[in-house]
Amino acid sequence: MVKDSGNKPWFAAYGNEIPTRLPDPAHRSLAALIARTCEKHATSRAFTCVVPNGMNGTLTFGQVGEMSDAFAAYLRHHCGVGPGARVAVQLPNGLAYPVVAFGVFKSGGVLVNTNPLYTRPEMIHQFNDSGAEVLVISDMFADKLADVVPRTGIRHVVLAGIPEFFPRIPETVVRGVQKLWTRSLPPIPKLDVPVQRIRQVLKIGRGLPRVTDRDAIGPDDLALLQYTGGTTGVAKGAMLTHGNILANLEQVKAMGGRHMTGQDCVLTALPLYHIFAFTANLMTFFDLGARNILVPSPRPVQNIQRALENYPVTWVTGVNTLFNGLMNEEWFAAYPPKHLKAAIAGGTALHGAVAERWQEVTGTRVAEGYGLTETAPLVSFNPLDQPVRAGSIGVPVPGTDVALVDDNADPVDPGKPGELLVKGPQVMRGYWNRPDETAKTLQNGWVFTGDVAVMDADGFLTIVDRKKDMVLVSGFNVYPNEVEDCLSLMHTVLEAAVIGVPDKGTGEAVRAYVVQNPDVEGTVTREDVIAHCRQHLAPYKVPKSVIIRDELPKSPIGKILRKDLKAEVRAEFAEKV
Amino acid sequence: MLTELETTLLGVMMMVIMLGMGASMTPRDFRIAFRKPKGILVGLLSQFAVMPFLGFMLAVLLGLPPALVVGLLLIACMPGGTTSNIFAYFSKGVLALSIMMTTVSTLVAVVMVPLLLSFYGGLAGVPAESSIPPGNVAQVLVVLLIPTIIGMVLRKLNPNIGATVELIGSFMGVVVILFLIVTWVPRNYQLLLDTGPSIYAATIGIGLSGMLFGYWVARGLGQDTNRSRTISLETGIQNGPLAVLVITLSFAPALQEDLLLIPVLYSLFIVLTSTAVTLWYRRNATREALARDAAKLGTT
Repeated sequence: MVKDSGNKPWFAAYGNEIPTRLPDPAHRSLAALIARTCEKHATSRAFTCVVPNGMNGTLTFGQVGEMSDAFAAYLRHHCGVGPGARVAVQLPNGLAYPVVAFGVFKSGGVLVNTNPLYTRPEMIHQFNDSGAEVLVISDMFADKLADVVPRTGIRHVVLAGIPEFFPRIPETVVRGVQKLWTRSLPPIPKLDVPVQRIRQVLKIGRGLPRVTDRDAIGPDDLALLQYTGGTTGVAKGAMLTHGNILANLEQVKAMGGRHMTGQDCVLTALPLYHIFAFTANLMTFFDLGARNILVPSPRPVQNIQRALENYPVTWVTGVNTLFNGLMNEEWFAAYPPKHLKAAIAGGTALHGAVAERWQEVTGTRVAEGYGLTETAPLVSFNPLDQPVRAGSIGVPVPGTDVALVDDNADPVDPGKPGELLVKGPQVMRGYWNRPDETAKTLQNGWVFTGDVAVMDADGFLTIVDRKKDMVLVSGFNVYPNEVEDCLSLMHTVLEAAVIGVPDKGTGEAVRAYVVQNPDVEGTVTREDVIAHCRQHLAPYKVPKSVIIRDELPKSPIGKILRKDLKAEVRAEFAEKV
Repeated sequence: MLTELETTLLGVMMMVIMLGMGASMTPRDFRIAFRKPKGILVGLLSQFAVMPFLGFMLAVLLGLPPALVVGLLLIACMPGGTTSNIFAYFSKGVLALSIMMTTVSTLVAVVMVPLLLSFYGGLAGVPAESSIPPGNVAQVLVVLLIPTIIGMVLRKLNPNIGATVELIGSFMGVVVILFLIVTWVPRNYQLLLDTGPSIYAATIGIGLSGMLFGYWVARGLGQDTNRSRTISLETGIQNGPLAVLVITLSFAPALQEDLLLIPVLYSLFIVLTSTAVTLWYRRNATREALARDAAKLGTT
């Protein structure tokens, strides 16, 4: 059994700024936090949604409070959604998202974040698995409803648009463009259950009594079913409580310290249905009284231009591909945001070359953090007052314990790589209706992350790789991250992914997929890539094969999906057999 | 040929169009575009070197009378029209390049159009009484720069108003042409029947040859096929209504008739030719995209 670590070498890195003991959350539930925050900052701007042409709409804290109250009343009294009932929300970033999510919490319901790009079978699986009773979905995907809703227990459908709650004229223009120009608004189908637009629904809610039993919701009540695919199997719902999110909020604020204030303006280009932006942007910056700039879709990355140009953005949260993409845009590199304090990176490994260029281009640092859906999500973060440690995911955040273990769950020697285990107030209750999966991942309060990490003498962690992605070349471990990091140093390479493929001689061999950087003269060749790797890597780590692609498979937040490449390889080798 | 009310309306509509054109970008977009100016410079070359020369050659080859030569040269020397952006979009071209070229050519036009008109006017032997005073052209263009710049600033300060104005502006571009068709054609159908084939050839030829040469000049200067198609449409599609406005503001009504013939006919016919060319370009763009996809599959 894994023991709590006695000494915590990372406390030294906390300095005077970061408390070693996590302060208790000021509220018992997210509902209470939201109500208090909306009152306190009522007249300040909370959320601004910016579409690619710069058109925008804004809600103040007071408006968000009033509208989410109305939505909670609609859920409770009109839909009959009691405490603990699941409400699926399938929306891209926009003003409707906070109204709906906060309304769900205020009604005592459980938010089931759903990726708007899910296919019909994925939607059906997630809605049935979670037992969702109400669905709030983007009007751009209304065409999926007829196939999905009858196969689930959904009793009410609410539609919301990208320009929802914009001033009347911009709303009409954006909707007109969607309808006539991009043709991205399908007709709304006739269903057996009621389908209403969010404006109608809020009208209904305003006429109903407010939900008053908010204080009955406590830290142990479920707040989110956050689905995660992991690297194998079907999606399963991580059960995150109000207490988990509230604790993680305090942990983010403890690490941010005086650098995060109510005067801040954070760019939210990552999707809010993902736990990273959900906790960091939607909840933490909101709690501070700061302003969120919501971008409905960061792809193509040009979509972010007006948001960055027109608002005094002080913080950016992103993933490696987003930072890389931004720096390859002329408008960004020539005019980096003036008010930026720092960027937060997470979701996937931040490449050293990207972090360095970011520092050069913007004059600010990218602080890399690490987290999991199962830990709401933040586990570790780089202290902002410490010098940049390239490649490190920082130190465990206050209140968090970590351990590095071998395959027998025994602690590894200091400085040696081992699977990272995490314990703390942010750790989930388990997977929804999946005791077997829960037992595999969660043991005595420790989450087995599946990531291999090392810790230096100061308590700084570095992720070596996913345990499952390790490539075994003639008995030597090759970590794809290391090879990818090396490839990203080539200026002709825009992005790269590395996986293992079966090999007769060596068991497995390293294969690299690279994408040509379109902004650089000259083409990348197989020979260049191999020659470059030979200079920087031990021979067994050098890719045996190099494939040049126009693009790499990516997750909704822009993580490069090695598993999709592996699936291609499996198919490729199956054909050969 | 055009009543005073129509001229005033045309002026107001041009102001709105220019406001909308300016509002399609911010001052910073403009500065960014000039960090890599090659595409825009190639476009300017075909706009202000190729087109006027084609206009002159057509005038000489078709042996047009002086008043018609002035109209043809004026059309050939005009900056890009804002409707080119719509055609660039539908041909799957590079919309940003099209918008930038339209704006840049309008700005450069203040200097270039008067110079080109006097040069080619002199070369074609246009008599003084029917040549357009260069000062007038410059004046009209300078006046139109004011709404353009206001539009740009508006887009920066209030994107909600800016983007709405952009939309109204491009809508107005279509309205002006409809306006010409509805008010002018019924009153002048006899004139249309009497107009000789050489005038139709000049009117339609200038747009088509501009698109043809615009494409090959751009290809010759190293632009890819997609950007070349955009430059091609941009070169061939001129700001016809602006030419009409310049003439009505420069000449007494009695003198306008012959001068206006080609600019008005051009404004009508360019809609048809651009639509045809856009459809063709769109098919090529789709075919190239499919070929790229096929090549992608082949490499893996």
